[in-house]
Order: sequence, then structure tokens, then C-alpha cells
Amino acid sequence: MTAPLEVREPDLDADVDVDEDRPWVVVVWNDPINLMSYVAYVFRKLFGYSEAKANKLMLDVHHKGRASVSSGTRSEAERDVHRLHGHGLWATMEHDE
Amino acid sequence: MGFFRRTRLFRPRGEDRFAVELAPEARAWLVNMADQLEELLLDDTDDTKRLFPTAYPNDPELDAGYQILARDQLIDSRRASIELLRSSAMLDVVSEEELVAWMGIVNDLRLVLGTRLDVSEDDHDLDVNDPELEARVAYHELGYILSEIVDALTTTLPPVDDADE
Repeated sequence: MTAPLEVREPDLDADVDVDEDRPWVVVVWNDPINLMSYVAYVFRKLFGYSEAKANKLMLDVHHKGRASVSSGTRSEAERDVHRLHGHGLWATMEHDE
Repeated sequence: MGFFRRTRLFRPRGEDRFAVELAPEARAWLVNMADQLEELLLDDTDDTKRLFPTAYPNDPELDAGYQILARDQLIDSRRASIELLRSSAMLDVVSEEELVAWMGIVNDLRLVLGTRLDVSEDDHDLDVNDPELEARVAYHELGYILSEIVDALTTTLPPVDDADE
């Protein structure tokens, strides 16, 4: 008699990061070094934002200390963070609350 | 460094080209600064921390994974930009790609100098007795060059209506 085939019940919690379903937000933080015109230029260049939207986000960074500039899946947000880092901006990513 | 003329340093000249109005001494100074930046790229010090920011401040494990991939790419892209700056530094007219490289390196230099000098947003006046005066003058000159590059490159961005986004 052969041994019965082992049947494993799927472990629904093991490999699925439930947090993956929640969008990630890319945040740019204020720093005293980056020029305001440069920050607005980077937002327009990387994200295709209008001059008005880029300036508003830049002013949010300057006055409020941070601004959410994009959102998406983890890989999308990480790509945006990486592009912002490539332009010297202080960007991080976090879950949308 | 009084050799920077207070005029438009970079003027759009046709499609994808920019005339550069910088004295040879200023160009050589920029190349020298870029050389120093290249030497710093492999240093993991406080001076260079702004070149490689944290992506996941609340998750060291995820951030470690990000840094493994991102750091080398950020170093490689900066080296490529430094090389473009070197090869175009003495040209009267540069391409958009070359000017973008200049912009990145000038901004990186400001990040390193600004971090080293611990600048604040209120640091506008220079003190002749400041032992870091030379570095602070360099920081301000780089800011002037950067703002001129941004003004020139902004002319290349397509107009976007808010309704289009």
C-alpha cells in the first residue's frame, strides 16, 4: 500500500501580505537645501504635473513640511521614490492611512 | 568666486540645445567639484547621506532591500552624469541631456555641501569671519547655477492643463 498523497491545506495567511492591498503613498519632505524652483521642476518633469499643481505640491513641502506626490502599488511607489532619490529629493513611502 | 557673471548662464538655443555663458575658470571649478563628488560617492558618511535617502523609514527590513538595489543604481547614474559634465564642460552649446546631467551634479554638490555645513533656510548672509566661508560661497554659487539651469530646462517642459491630469 502506498502512502496517501499528502494534501496540504492552503495557508491563506502565509504568503499574502494583506497590506499589499492598501495603496502606498510617496511623500516628499522639506529640507533646507533643495531650491523651490528645482523641486517644482522635478515634480513637473517626473510626474507630468501642470505648473500650478507642481507649485502647490512644492509649497506644501515648504510650508507644511511634506506633501504626498503620488500613490499606487508598492512597486509603483518604490519606482517613484527611486526616481525622486535620483533627483536628490528626500522622498519616502508609506501606507495610505 | 567672483568669476560668475550675473547674467543668464544658460539660454535655450533651438531644440534641445543650450548656450552656456560661463567663464573657463567657472567650468574648471565645476569639473573639480564633480571630481570630488565622484570620490565621495563610495563613502558612507554623514556628508553623503542625503544622496541615498531612506525609502521606508518605518520598516528597516524593507529599506535594506531597497538600498541593496537602489544604492548601486544611484551611484552608477551619478557617475554617468559626472562623465557627461566632464565631456561637455568646455562647450559653448550643450544638449538637453548634458544640461540635465549638469543639473543633477550641481544639486548633488549642494546636498553634500549643505549637509556638511548644516545649512538652514535662513542662511542667506555670508560672514567674512566664518571659517567655512569658502564652502558657503561655493554653496551659494552652486545655488545660482542650479536656479539658472532650472530656468533654462523649464522651457523644455510641455504645457499641461490641470484638466489633463
